[in-house]
Amino acid sequence: MTLALELALIAFVVVTAVFAALLRDVLGSIAVFAAYSLGLAIIWVLLQAPDVALTEAAVGAGVMTFLFLLTIAKTTRPDTEKPLKQVDLKAFVVVAAVALLMLTTVPAMPEVGDPDAPPVSAEHPTGEQTPYSYYIENTYVQAGIENAVAGVLVVYRGFDTFGEAVVVFAAAVGVMVVLKREVLK
Amino acid sequence: MIEEFIARHYHVAFIVVLAIGLYMLIESGNLVKKVIGLNIFQMSVFLFFTTAAYVEGGGPALVGPESVPGEHSNPLPHVLILTAIVVGVSLTSLALALVVRVYREYGTLDEDRLEEVMAGEP
Repeated sequence: MTLALELALIAFVVVTAVFAALLRDVLGSIAVFAAYSLGLAIIWVLLQAPDVALTEAAVGAGVMTFLFLLTIAKTTRPDTEKPLKQVDLKAFVVVAAVALLMLTTVPAMPEVGDPDAPPVSAEHPTGEQTPYSYYIENTYVQAGIENAVAGVLVVYRGFDTFGEAVVVFAAAVGVMVVLKREVLK
Repeated sequence: MIEEFIARHYHVAFIVVLAIGLYMLIESGNLVKKVIGLNIFQMSVFLFFTTAAYVEGGGPALVGPESVPGEHSNPLPHVLILTAIVVGVSLTSLALALVVRVYREYGTLDEDRLEEVMAGEP
């Protein structure tokens, strides 16, 4: 049952991505991209990542779509006679080669949800404790935060979050410089 | 062979979606569609990370004093992806600002047309 739901969601995500690539109308592409984002957000709920799902639904599907719509409102939307583009053969061959090469590595990956997979095992092969097990056992004890994602984000990896804030600030300055150069002179 | 891929369906989905994003980056002549392709590409990598963090039968990473590994998904990839989503939006907004600027200067967003316009300038 769950597998059927997961496969249906994967099919939805892949189909929306294909339509985002093939639609000629940029507005249509943006709408399909928002649907793609929402599909991924639902997959993340199934993968027990509610924080990522919320952020994706709010930021990926919400803010991102708004930014794209703002851009085509300020620029142009190409005229379209036919709704779909032809597949470009050269680009397709290059991309298919990359995808096939990557697909050969799939059987070497741990199965989805495998409790012995390196990212979710309690010990390294050498017997040392993994960061995963450290965060699960200590976040509540050391930081008093029940949500381990928030705990790791602000306590253990606070500098990382600070760096993220710097990037956001730099991007905001960049947007202002690019769009209002006349004003700043 | 098929079972191996079914058991790793999220990895297969990650590769397929990554390929579609790459295709959009290479093929699209329109600059806005290129940025959409870049975002599709980027989000497929997020799928790879959250899949790595998932453990069968485990809940979300909500912990208490008695928590043991194996009952929760790994919070670390989730944190990295939260950061990556926010950074991705910042970079997208900067890219779109550049797109708007290009349109103001050259009056087109089509790659081929843009090359013609730039070559025509003194």
